[in-house]
Amino acid sequence: MDILKHLKDESNLIIFTDDFISNNTEIKIKNNHLLFDKGNEFFVFLDNYTQKDDFIFEIKNKVKIYLLTSQSKRADYSIRFDLKEASELTLFTDFHAKTKTSSKHRLIINLAKKAKLDIMNALVFNGKIDFDLEVNLLEEKAEVTIEQLNVGADGVQHTVNQRVNHLAKSTTSKINNWLIAQENAKLNYHVTGFIAKGQELSKCHQNNKGIMLSDNSEISVEPKLLIDEYDVEASHGAAIGQMDELQLYYLKSRGMTESEAKSLIINGYTLPFISLIDNEKIEKILKRQVSRVIRRNS
Amino acid sequence: MKLQIKDLYVSIEGNMILKGLNLIVNGGETHAIMGPNGTGKSTLAQICMGHPSYRIESGDILLDDESIIEKTVDERSRMGIFLAMQNPIEVPGVTNFDFVKAAVQTRMKKDEHLRIGRFILKFEKASQDLKMGQGLAHRFLNQGFSGGEKKRNEILQMKMLNPKIAFLDEIDSGLDVDALKLVGENVTDLKSPDLGLVLITHYQRLLDYITPDFVHIMINGKIVMTGKDELIKKIDQEGYDWVKKELGIEDEEVKPYSLGTCPSKH
Repeated sequence: MDILKHLKDESNLIIFTDDFISNNTEIKIKNNHLLFDKGNEFFVFLDNYTQKDDFIFEIKNKVKIYLLTSQSKRADYSIRFDLKEASELTLFTDFHAKTKTSSKHRLIINLAKKAKLDIMNALVFNGKIDFDLEVNLLEEKAEVTIEQLNVGADGVQHTVNQRVNHLAKSTTSKINNWLIAQENAKLNYHVTGFIAKGQELSKCHQNNKGIMLSDNSEISVEPKLLIDEYDVEASHGAAIGQMDELQLYYLKSRGMTESEAKSLIINGYTLPFISLIDNEKIEKILKRQVSRVIRRNS
Repeated sequence: MKLQIKDLYVSIEGNMILKGLNLIVNGGETHAIMGPNGTGKSTLAQICMGHPSYRIESGDILLDDESIIEKTVDERSRMGIFLAMQNPIEVPGVTNFDFVKAAVQTRMKKDEHLRIGRFILKFEKASQDLKMGQGLAHRFLNQGFSGGEKKRNEILQMKMLNPKIAFLDEIDSGLDVDALKLVGENVTDLKSPDLGLVLITHYQRLLDYITPDFVHIMINGKIVMTGKDELIKKIDQEGYDWVKKELGIEDEEVKPYSLGTCPSKH
């Protein structure tokens, strides 16, 4: 899918390639350091970007960023987000590979006092990816919600490490992962919430759901809570299984073929994530990516 | 269309449930099947639909003289069989509208296209007829529906899909008096020479609204008596003991069985 075709008319678009940077926004960029000091919606597209230089996104306002990548070559880079005091970031990421490739991406996000982060990660990556997400709640009342949709197509191998460090009092984190593994896909998740000693009144919750669509697919989730403080709230859970056969039977009893029924159920499973996206173009891009994977494998 | 069930023996988990059942349902006919609990009424409906938990030991099911026992569930549905289920399944995330649209589209020929405007009007009309309330289209399939709403939603699907042979499995359970009347009227409206109806019920009250042409009493996995209105009245007043006494039927012990959570794996 040509993501750029969908984004080219956006007025706030920044494109990074190995050869050039295209920036039609007011954002200042210096050595891959982007300063978002005005509230707005931005689109950042890494077009087959393979440079080793890491990125820093500095957030000083109420900002919405759609960060999309499209890979056909190996890439290995980190993106650090620094959310300053009382700033708000809604971040949508879509790490996508056009052809089977192997990549490693790291997101490190630091939140200052009363900073708020809503992050939606879509991972419909074709090939092997190691994806690390580390969120540091550095100061009081910082809060993060992480929603992640991972659709693993035939033969992919996704290893995901998510870690939220509560390093200040009254900080809040919520993680919801929706995982779908097609034939021969392997999705390995390590999900860790850490509340350091003395960081009372913090809340740390995580919820992991997974559907395996064949006997050869594999989802492993290791939910961990590392709590060094008594006066906190924390919970974790993982529910992984195969598609509900009664649901399939019900849909088939109305004439849908096995693959039509599976597609409908999977679309329903992804809907809570997709409905969080309030940009039509981005929603369309993601829906196409997901339906292409599902169609190819059903 | 004619549904013919010939000397059908069906088991689940080693328990024989249907034991030589015979039935013919022609288009335009309405058959009521009554009988005590655990006698195989729902099994009959599920096996005709193709539920994978059940096993046909012998006998045949024919649709217009063609055997369908090797057909998949979806093929049977597209051939015209419909089952309004006793316990409709909840499917979170799938809207009622998308579900019915997909079910209608899968019946269309390759060169046909769904006329969406016409479809929406038909869906809304069916929804109003069954007093399903606004917003039904965008609600997730059966999720959070009351028992009565689930049953009415089954009839809505029946109205949208125009089946040729429809089994209504205890469609009256969970319905209050008004809803029962509403469902009864809607099903009666659907009656036509092209539709063969099989009503599975324990009670006379459904049959007050949908008049059957034949009433069958099923005991121990087969139809033991067939009659008309007079049978319904007698059952309502006296239960089934008189049938057993009259025909010399003894109660059988049926081992408990489970449909499981993954029927296709059995």
